[in-house]
Amino acid sequence: MKGSTLSVLHCQVVEEEVELSLGELCQACGAESDLVRQLVAHGVLEPLGDSPQGWVFVGTSLQRTRQAMRLMHDLEVNLPGAALALELMEQIRQLQQQLLTTARRPRSG
Amino acid sequence: MEFKDYYQTLGVSRDASADDIKHAYRKLARKYHPDLNKEADAEAKFKALGEAYEVLKDPEKRAAYDDVGKRWQGGADRPPPPDWNAGYEFSGADSGDGFAEHSDFFEALFGRRAGGARARAQGMPRAQDHHAKVLIDLLDAYRGAQRSIRLHVPTLDAQGRLSMAERTLDVAIPVGVREGQHLRLAGQGSPGFDGGPAGDLYLEIGFHPHPLFRVDGRDVYLDLPVAPWEAALGASVDVPLPDGSVTLSIPAGSADARKLRLKGKGIPSKTPGDLYAVLRIALPREASAAQRQAWQALAQAYQADFRPRAAMEVK
Repeated sequence: MKGSTLSVLHCQVVEEEVELSLGELCQACGAESDLVRQLVAHGVLEPLGDSPQGWVFVGTSLQRTRQAMRLMHDLEVNLPGAALALELMEQIRQLQQQLLTTARRPRSG
Repeated sequence: MEFKDYYQTLGVSRDASADDIKHAYRKLARKYHPDLNKEADAEAKFKALGEAYEVLKDPEKRAAYDDVGKRWQGGADRPPPPDWNAGYEFSGADSGDGFAEHSDFFEALFGRRAGGARARAQGMPRAQDHHAKVLIDLLDAYRGAQRSIRLHVPTLDAQGRLSMAERTLDVAIPVGVREGQHLRLAGQGSPGFDGGPAGDLYLEIGFHPHPLFRVDGRDVYLDLPVAPWEAALGASVDVPLPDGSVTLSIPAGSADARKLRLKGKGIPSKTPGDLYAVLRIALPREASAAQRQAWQALAQAYQADFRPRAAMEVK
């Protein structure tokens, strides 16, 4: 049987345990560094550090970058359009969260 | 083999202009894009749209497709004419990322080709990183698990045609992983060039739908049916959890949709999620004569005091 001799692979949860440099983020997403720079310029990504060489991206940047790339490719929108969509999606998520936590308190009969 | 009506998928006529097609695609793609639309069938619809657009936006592919359509007499449910897909040649200006899934119909006509593997940035020293989506059980996130994950890897054969090879990986799923998160498996992407380091493999986590539990980030929701008298008088009920069970006390006077929080019983983490039991007041389907009498007694007992529609009283 194929694969029966493989040992168990250990992995990291990117969103929690991984920080990425500009190069690593580009590599992980198959993105040009220019695209990532523009995502930073538009506030979609907010790395720590002052210069691109020193940028440190939190793990959730991987999800956001891939989502932005999907939106741009699939919907044929430009980067500001994708940035706007991502921001609105985040607002919807927060509103839904609020709705869940405040929804329908028990009435007094 | 089923004929795919790409014009119907995009809702355009057969003589639609390139602009009409683009317009129709963009509008529908926004509606069904899985990042924007969380309905269960959105992803399938979006894939169908993408495939239709990939064919109809490309003049060569569209011409071949129209030609096949003419020869495929007698409607989509008829068997195709022999050699229906033979003899079409394409310049291969492939759109997508080459990993997109296509229907059998599409592959039979246009082939499975490597196509636009995304251009690598200049001077990138490492091999490509790969991505795949995997589904795990909710319980795996509670307990951690060792899972065999089967991946289909597009591979080029000697003739330059794309075929799917299968690869199995045994992966240790860490406790506390959540939907939408990514697991990084170092060195499991593309093999390196000229002895360079291999790329990494990223697995995006999704959960198999569970018949009882819904998941939102770290929090888990359960609809908990209760009898009207349990909601009114309070009760102690056994509640299943993804990883065990608990006895929950329902406070007297609980309204429908009341959420009872079980702190820390959501997905484990440094700050674990919560589990919410959402009360659903269930009514008996049928009533015997004695039971109907009991309801009537209830109605009488409450007649003066309980007016649920007081705020919308009709004069």
